[in-house]
Amino acid sequence: MNRLRNATREDRLLLIGLPIFVGLLLIGWAIWRSNASLDEIETRLLTWQNIGTLTWEHLLIVVVCAVLVVGTAVPVGILLTRPGTRGAIGPVLGVANAGQAAPVVGVIVLLALLLGFGFWVAVLALTLYAFLPVLANTVTGLRGVEPSLIEAARGMGMSGTQVLLRVELPIAIPVIMTGVRTALVLLVGAGAFASFIDAGGLGLLIQTGILMFRFSILVSGALLVAALALTVEWVGRLLEVIVKPGGLA
Amino acid sequence: MRKLKALTVSVLATGLITGCGLGTAGGYVRSGELAGPVADVNLEGASIAVGSKDFTEQAILGKMMVILAQSAGADTQDLTNVPGSQSVRQAMLQGIMDFQWEYTGTAWITYLGNVDPIVDDQEQFDAVQDADAEFGLHWVQPSAVNNTYAMMMTRERSEELGVTAMSDLAELDESDLTYCIAAEFASRNDGFEPMLEHYDIPPASPDQRRMMDQGATFQATANGECAFGQTTATDGRIPALDLVVLEDDLAYFPKYNLSGVIGEELYELYPQVEDLVIPLTERLDNETMAELNARVDVDGEEPGDVAWDFLVQEGYLIDE
Repeated sequence: MNRLRNATREDRLLLIGLPIFVGLLLIGWAIWRSNASLDEIETRLLTWQNIGTLTWEHLLIVVVCAVLVVGTAVPVGILLTRPGTRGAIGPVLGVANAGQAAPVVGVIVLLALLLGFGFWVAVLALTLYAFLPVLANTVTGLRGVEPSLIEAARGMGMSGTQVLLRVELPIAIPVIMTGVRTALVLLVGAGAFASFIDAGGLGLLIQTGILMFRFSILVSGALLVAALALTVEWVGRLLEVIVKPGGLA
Repeated sequence: MRKLKALTVSVLATGLITGCGLGTAGGYVRSGELAGPVADVNLEGASIAVGSKDFTEQAILGKMMVILAQSAGADTQDLTNVPGSQSVRQAMLQGIMDFQWEYTGTAWITYLGNVDPIVDDQEQFDAVQDADAEFGLHWVQPSAVNNTYAMMMTRERSEELGVTAMSDLAELDESDLTYCIAAEFASRNDGFEPMLEHYDIPPASPDQRRMMDQGATFQATANGECAFGQTTATDGRIPALDLVVLEDDLAYFPKYNLSGVIGEELYELYPQVEDLVIPLTERLDNETMAELNARVDVDGEEPGDVAWDFLVQEGYLIDE
């Protein structure tokens, strides 16, 4: 609880406000869905079971990608800020930039045609896409640590690893977490393209809604993706408040 | 809804006003001297805006009409290659476009909001013609081009399994029944699940069904991701990838017969516009259409050039 008290005002407002907003959004949608008179096409897509399945598929893609992105981009960012590997920073950031700049929908379909369709190819494409913000923020966060602090820690007899774990990472955490949050929200949005290659997700509703000119389906899909994005953003903020070390406000 | 329409139209109109001096993505078109069955059509003084949707077949057909109208002396505006069926539909309803090529099933199901298609080609056409007359749109006549949904497979697999028609699928083992389908087909009333029911094929489990983008189904089927891919009957990638379309032997799929559609205003003043459309309508069929589509999708030619070559070859036009 005192963690929450240490949080900034903006954080506090969002931590409490976001779940309420998302809750209201979902309740509103559910009330509409219960009372709407749907035609056969809408009924086929907007069953509770189907919505549940699609949401689960979407969430699964986002979570798996997030774990992979954080698990790869943070270590790579740490490696790139160690003395001796700094020369590699330019090329690696260049590759990450390219991943971010390529249109997801093209990359995802091309990869599917090359490697096959389904969940893992969607995960690969989206991981490449969300890699950059986490990597860039890890590098920026670690570079932003006062050199004098690192020297002082070394002077106290800490090893390189100890300095990293006890001084550098704790100070860089807020910046890294911002990158993670950005990546998560990007993933939820870009995850809508997974439906193009047999990986399911809520994109199916958006795509079908557009093609069939059914606003009910399109808006349901968009609304649920937005709710998911806000939820993921909220989880990110919560994590940030939890892992942010005390005394470093 | 009214607001949305107004918005769509204003967006379209802005695009049209600002886009006047530009050729469209389908390429530049020329005009020539009309010949053969259309030699006597005169549209001097008419002003015609020809629209089309943004896929290959529509671009080619749209360009054909632009070339013919221009050659007949009409002041022609090329509005081909507009994204989305609905934008074109709205533009037709508002009189921004005077002519487009449309498909009976699309109008019946998507625009007029009917749920169940009519099995017979001519009856389906008549029903659409009647319904759309109220909206001030005149449907000319149905062509043999029927760009309906269909299932396709590789030639090799077709020979291996001895499958040439949809009703053969009911005889196959479940392990051979894998499908590549797009979102739209999966959700339509004239789509996937009702198709299986119609042909007495057991319902597909999630493992048998691969959902993907419509454009990806061709390569996915060719790559063996699934045995049966969903397509539309006139796509140029079918012959290009050596795929075969299964015969709809128990008449399940709705009819998407191609027809010229003329706006009321133009039709009242210049009914002879029909005479440009009818010979084309009578000449075109699925095979011809697929070949023309392939020249764009596979060989990379411009729709405008493909349209021009066809009109000259068929003797509707003399190159000046």
